[in-house]
Amino acid sequence: MAQISTSDIRPGMKVEVEGQPYFIVSNEFVKPGKGQAFNRIKVRHLMTGRVVEKVFKSGDKLPEADIVESSMRMLYKEADGAVFMNDESFEQVTISNECLADSAIWLLEDTLYDVVFYKGSPVAVSPPTFLEMTITQTDPGARGDTASGRVLKPATLESGAKVQVPIFVNEGEKIKIDTRTGEYVSRV
Amino acid sequence: MSAEYKNTIRQRAEALSLARSFFAKKNILEVDCIALTQAASIDVNIDLFAVSSPTHGTRFLFSSPEYQVKRMLSNGSGDIFYLGHVWRHEEQGKNHSPEFLMAEWYRLGFSFSEMIEETIAFVELFTGQKPHTHLSYRQAFLNARALDPFTASDKELIDACPATYSPSSRDEALNLLLALYVEPSFDPDAITVLYHYPASQAALSQHVLSDGHRVGERFELYCQGLELANGFHELTDAREQRRRFIEDNLLREQQGKEPYPIDEAFLQALEKGLPDCCGVAVGVDRLLMIQHDHDQIKKTFAIDWQRS
Repeated sequence: MAQISTSDIRPGMKVEVEGQPYFIVSNEFVKPGKGQAFNRIKVRHLMTGRVVEKVFKSGDKLPEADIVESSMRMLYKEADGAVFMNDESFEQVTISNECLADSAIWLLEDTLYDVVFYKGSPVAVSPPTFLEMTITQTDPGARGDTASGRVLKPATLESGAKVQVPIFVNEGEKIKIDTRTGEYVSRV
Repeated sequence: MSAEYKNTIRQRAEALSLARSFFAKKNILEVDCIALTQAASIDVNIDLFAVSSPTHGTRFLFSSPEYQVKRMLSNGSGDIFYLGHVWRHEEQGKNHSPEFLMAEWYRLGFSFSEMIEETIAFVELFTGQKPHTHLSYRQAFLNARALDPFTASDKELIDACPATYSPSSRDEALNLLLALYVEPSFDPDAITVLYHYPASQAALSQHVLSDGHRVGERFELYCQGLELANGFHELTDAREQRRRFIEDNLLREQQGKEPYPIDEAFLQALEKGLPDCCGVAVGVDRLLMIQHDHDQIKKTFAIDWQRS
């Protein structure tokens, strides 16, 4: 893989540090008056999402991480993961529950997801920012709820996600959800 | 012209006149220097802009007027200051501009501690009154890292550095540990004076003994996480100065950097006799950052490096 010098590293780039894949969050140049220059680089781990700070000698080169993102369609869920298909090559991959992590609650059949591959293996899945889903369970809103200041109630969606919805929406209705925050956006 | 733009121009103008009136009150004379010089300031970690022309060969934009100013001192100039731009190649970032404004002055017969006090007074013109903390280099390391910079083994120092950074020398490890762990331990709202650096980092300062360790009479001054000043009880020994130049050039070559021509006129001036004196250099742009609450050095310029 290509090597990137500390002076060319920009946020969003993907690099490998100590054998682990990271996204660059920020890169700060520091030069003590009479000391040698170094770079304080904040990185986010590709799989765990943990942000850490790493220090490098200015001018050091970091290997670019072998990371590829591709759009894949979710076919079906299995006990230990979910199966996705590439629409062009019809190639199928099974992604484990461990890699699905927080995205597991946003899985809908026949929907496109961004799948991240590291060294050829799928490591993470990100759902579309907005998803439309049917409410499979929610209690009816009771009269007087708004008067007592209560405007939201719990609801379960077809993917299994548990979210808060306004008291006026009912079971069986389709709603739009922001997957970044899990917040209700609108009725569809 | 926007109000902000106008403010930036005015803030810089006020800083220049504030500095000049400080020196005028103390009868310190302003000197003007040639910035593009034949010989160069030699420091392992400071890289210079080289300028070439068919008629004049290669010259360097100085990183400090120090050598010229010391030639004037040895010729009997008395107390003098330089207030102007200096250049350092490859130094660009939140707190770094490759071209910046330096106030550098020299006081004959001043003791090391008198020089520190005068530097604090100058800095406080901009920062306002602050509490002061004086810390020896050794004590600062002991406080922040329980590490003695003079007696710790090379391995202990290297082990204390982050795994992603392998220092190639003891001084490189110490410099990194200072920036990563010691400096952040200073109270940001106080002025911290760090003094008595290891002899190997004395730069152009005299060596003295402190608690049995050979140290340089060099100090640095910090406030709000910014390194603001670097001062010396000046080295007057021409032979020791030549030795340090040669050593610095060798270290530069080991790091794959070009060596710089030695300033013979400066060394001759030392041989002739530099009066006993102290000197300090202060980064004025960073004082402006603190004075006007700018989070980036470029905001202290109406037209900054990138847009010039």
